[in-house]
Amino acid sequence: MKKVRAAIAVLAFAAVTALALASCGSGSDSSSSGGSSGGEGKQGGTLNITYASFPDYMDPQLSYTQEGWSAMGEVYIPLLTYEHGEGSKGAEVIPGLAKEMPKISNGGKTYTLFLRPGLKYSNGEPVKASDFPYAVERMFKVNSGGSTFYTSIVGAEKFAKTKQGSIPGIKTNDKTGEIQIELEKPRGTFANELGLMFVAPVPKGTPNEDLSASPPPGTGPYMITKSQPGRGWEVARNPYWEKANSKAMPDYPTGLIDGAKVTIVRNPQTQVNDIEQGKYDYMENPPPADRYTEVKENFEGTQFRVEPTISTYYFWMNTQEPPFDDAKVRQAVNYAVDPAALERVYSGQIKGTQQILPPGMPGYEKLELYPHDMEKAKELLKEANPSDMDITVWTDTESPNNEAGEYYEGVLKELGFNTKLKILNADNYFTVIGNQSTPDLDTGFSDWFQDYPHPNDFFEPLLAGESIQPTNNQNFGNFNDPEVNKEIAKLGEEQLGSEQEAAYTELDKEVMEEAPWAPYGTRTLSTFVSSAINLENVIYSPTFGAYLTSFEFNE
Amino acid sequence: MNSTNRAAVPAEPENGSAGSGPWLLALRRFLRNRVAVAFLVLFFLIVAFVLAAPLWADHVAHTGPNETHTLQKLHVDGKVREVVTPEGKPIGPQWFEADGKFFLGADSRLGRDEMVRLMYGGRTSLFIGFVSGFITTFLAVVLALLAGYYRGWVDAVIARSLDVLWSLPVLLIGIAIGTASALGGLGIGPIFIPGGSIWIPIFIISIFYTPYVARPIRGEVLSLSEKEFVESAVAQGAGPLRVMFGELLPNLASTIVVFFALNIANNMLFEAALSFLGAGVQPPNSSWGTMISIGEELLTTQPLLAIIPGVMIMLTVLSLNIVGDGLRDALDPRSKVRLEAKTGMAEPEGASV
Repeated sequence: MKKVRAAIAVLAFAAVTALALASCGSGSDSSSSGGSSGGEGKQGGTLNITYASFPDYMDPQLSYTQEGWSAMGEVYIPLLTYEHGEGSKGAEVIPGLAKEMPKISNGGKTYTLFLRPGLKYSNGEPVKASDFPYAVERMFKVNSGGSTFYTSIVGAEKFAKTKQGSIPGIKTNDKTGEIQIELEKPRGTFANELGLMFVAPVPKGTPNEDLSASPPPGTGPYMITKSQPGRGWEVARNPYWEKANSKAMPDYPTGLIDGAKVTIVRNPQTQVNDIEQGKYDYMENPPPADRYTEVKENFEGTQFRVEPTISTYYFWMNTQEPPFDDAKVRQAVNYAVDPAALERVYSGQIKGTQQILPPGMPGYEKLELYPHDMEKAKELLKEANPSDMDITVWTDTESPNNEAGEYYEGVLKELGFNTKLKILNADNYFTVIGNQSTPDLDTGFSDWFQDYPHPNDFFEPLLAGESIQPTNNQNFGNFNDPEVNKEIAKLGEEQLGSEQEAAYTELDKEVMEEAPWAPYGTRTLSTFVSSAINLENVIYSPTFGAYLTSFEFNE
Repeated sequence: MNSTNRAAVPAEPENGSAGSGPWLLALRRFLRNRVAVAFLVLFFLIVAFVLAAPLWADHVAHTGPNETHTLQKLHVDGKVREVVTPEGKPIGPQWFEADGKFFLGADSRLGRDEMVRLMYGGRTSLFIGFVSGFITTFLAVVLALLAGYYRGWVDAVIARSLDVLWSLPVLLIGIAIGTASALGGLGIGPIFIPGGSIWIPIFIISIFYTPYVARPIRGEVLSLSEKEFVESAVAQGAGPLRVMFGELLPNLASTIVVFFALNIANNMLFEAALSFLGAGVQPPNSSWGTMISIGEELLTTQPLLAIIPGVMIMLTVLSLNIVGDGLRDALDPRSKVRLEAKTGMAEPEGASV
C-alpha cells in the first residue's frame, strides 16, 4: 500500500455509531442529512489542519501515499469503499458508489455491480457507469503506481502497454448503471482493490495528466476548492452531496465540519506548538521525537492517541544492478542493519522486524533470518567480492526517516562501501525513486502500510516482477524472481484461508532468503488534535487516515 | 572609549620612523588596537580548535564525526549510561566524566559525538568561508579592475551585471540552487559539481557575494585611475595589464585585505543559513549550520546542541568583523578620521587606534 511518512492514528468509532443510531431514532432527519456524521457535536466550522509534507499527488488515480489518501479519501468515492471504522472494522469493504457488493460469477472471473442512481459530481455532472472504465483507463494512461492491481482485467495489460483503444474487460450500461468486469483469472483481492481510490470514477474528459494543481470533481461529501502543491489545499462541502449523493448513499457519513484548510508546516516542533496553542486543530504526522514523550504525557486521552499500524519499514536494494544484484551482498546488508538501533532512531515508535509481512497481517510468523552480526556481514561481503562498491543511498527529509537514512549510510560505509547519501524532499521522494530514469537508484529507505488486510498487498505491488514500472514504480528493488512471481500470482487468485496463510508465511521466508530488502520495523503512529476538537470521535482508518467526516468541534 | 582616553595613547607619526614601510606602520597601528588583537587571538584559537579535530577524535573521543553510537553504553562512575535512550533521547554533556567521550553529549538519536562533530563542522564552515572568500575577492578584484580601468561599455556591462546580481534575493536563490543541485549536481559549462559536494555552497556563496566586494573596489579603482602615478605609468608606455596589476592592484591591497576578512565572516553566516535550511552542506557531513539544524529539533530537551554551534559561529564572525575593522583602521587610518569628522568625533590624526 501506500507509504506513510506521517501520522496514522485512530479509532473511537463506538461513540460515532451510538450517536448515529440515536439520531436515527429521531425520525427521517438522519436520512435527509446523509447518514451518520460523527455524533451530536457542534455543526459547522472550518478545520485547520497541518501536514509536514504535501501528498505525492492530489489526483485520485495517481496518489499512493497516506497523505494523499487521507487528503482525498472523502472527496473521491470508488464503487466500493471501506467502512468508517478503526482497526479491522475499518478494513471492511462495503458498497460505495455501487448499490451493493459485486455479484461474483464465472468462477470468480466476472464482477457485476450497479451504480446507485442519481449520483452527481461536485460540478453537477451526473455520474455514469461509463465513468468507471474511463477512470481505470486514465489510471493506466498516467502510469499510476496502483496499475498493478488491475492488470488482471481482460485486455488491461495490453492497454497498459499501448494506451490505445479501450479495455474490453469492462462493459457498462449508462442507462441501467450496470458495470461488468471480466478478469483473466480469479483474483481473491479484487473487491478490496475496487475500494481503492485509483479507480474512483471521475468525469469523462478529465485530462490524462497529473492534476495536483486542479484536482478533478469528486463524489464525496467534500470537494477540493484550492490546491497549491507544496503549500497546502482547501476543502469545502460538495454542494451536490446534500442535493443528490447523500440521498443515494444514506449510510455514508456527511460530516459536521464545513470544510478544512490544510497548511504544510515542515517543522514538526512548530506544528506541536501550533496545536497546543490552537492555531491548528489537527496534525497529520506524529510529533517529533523530542516532543513525543512530553505530548504523550500531557495530552494522551484528551488530545493525543497512539495507534499501532500494520506496516513495514525497510531499506530496498536494487537487485538488477551491482553490487546488490548478488544475494550475498544483500544478505550481508541484512546482517549489518540492526533493528534495535533503528528502534531508538525512531524514538521507540517502531518495533524491530526483519521480514516482509508485519505483525497483525495474516500469514505473519516471526522470522529471525538475520540476527545482527557485523562480522558475518563483512565475511559475506568478502565472499561476494562485488565489482562495484560505489553506491548512492536515498532517503527523505522527514524526521526520523532522514536519520534512518544516515544510520543506514553509516552501516554501509562500515561494511566497506563508498557511499553517497541523497536526502530528498518528502513531497516528491517516492515519485523520484519510483522513476527508473533517476540515476544511481542503488538503495534507500521506504515503508509500506496495508491497503487492505491481505498479505498479497505486501507482495504483488512491491515484489512481483510485473509491478516494475518506468514511473511510479513501487518495486524499488526491481526484484524479479520467476519462482516468486509465480507464487505471488497463484496465491493472488485464491481466497485467503489457512492454507494460503501458510503459503504466504513460506513466501515471506523465501523472499527474505533472497533479501531484496533489509526490513527493520513496524510503525506506531499517533493522532494529535487541539483542545477544540473532540478526539473521541475522530476515526482513523487503516486505509484513508483520519476521516474528515469524523471531526467535530467541541461545544 | 572617549576622546580624553584616546588622547592618552601616544600618537604615531604618519610618516613613521626612518625605514618603516607602510605595512610595518599598519602592523604597529593594528597591534595598538587591543580589542582587535584580542579578537585576532580568539580567531586563531578557534582555528586551532578546529584543526585539532583529528587529534581529539582519535585520542580522546575515539570516534569519527559521522560514526553512530545509538546502542552504545558509557560507564561513568560505576554507572551505565546509554548514549541514546530507548525513547530516543541523546545523552547530554559528559565533560570529562567519560574520559572526554561525548564531552558535549550526543548530537541526535544517531548518537554521534557532538564535540567531534563541532570540531569537524568548524573545519567545514571555515573552509567554505575562506575558499568562497578567496574566490569572491578574486572575482571582485578582477571585475573591478576591468570596469574601473576600461570604463565605457566594459564598465557599464560589468557594473550593471553586478547590480542585477546585487538585487537578487540571495538567500532564496541560494536555497533554490542548493536544493535543485543536491540531487543531480551543478553543471556550468565544462565544470560539474556533484550533488552533495561542499563545492556547491562554495560556488553559490562566491557568485552571489561578488557584487558586495566588487562594487566598492570598483569605486576605488575609478578614483585611483585618475591619479598621477597611473598617468605616469601610461605615459611611460605601460600596457593595460601592467597598469591594472602592477600599479592599481598594489594600491588596492589594504582595501582587499579588509574586505577579505569581512567577506569570510559574511560567507560563514550565509553558509550557516543555507545549511540550516538544508541547501548547504549535506548530511551526514557536519558544519555549524547543519548542527544548529539538527539541534533545533531537540531544542526543548537538549538546547546546547543548537546553542554551542551557534555560539561558535557568533564568535568566529564577531572576531573576523572586529579584526576586519581593526585592519581597516590600521591600513587606512584616514578613513576612520574621515568618518569621525563627519560624525563630529574627529580627533588628532595619528591618535586613532
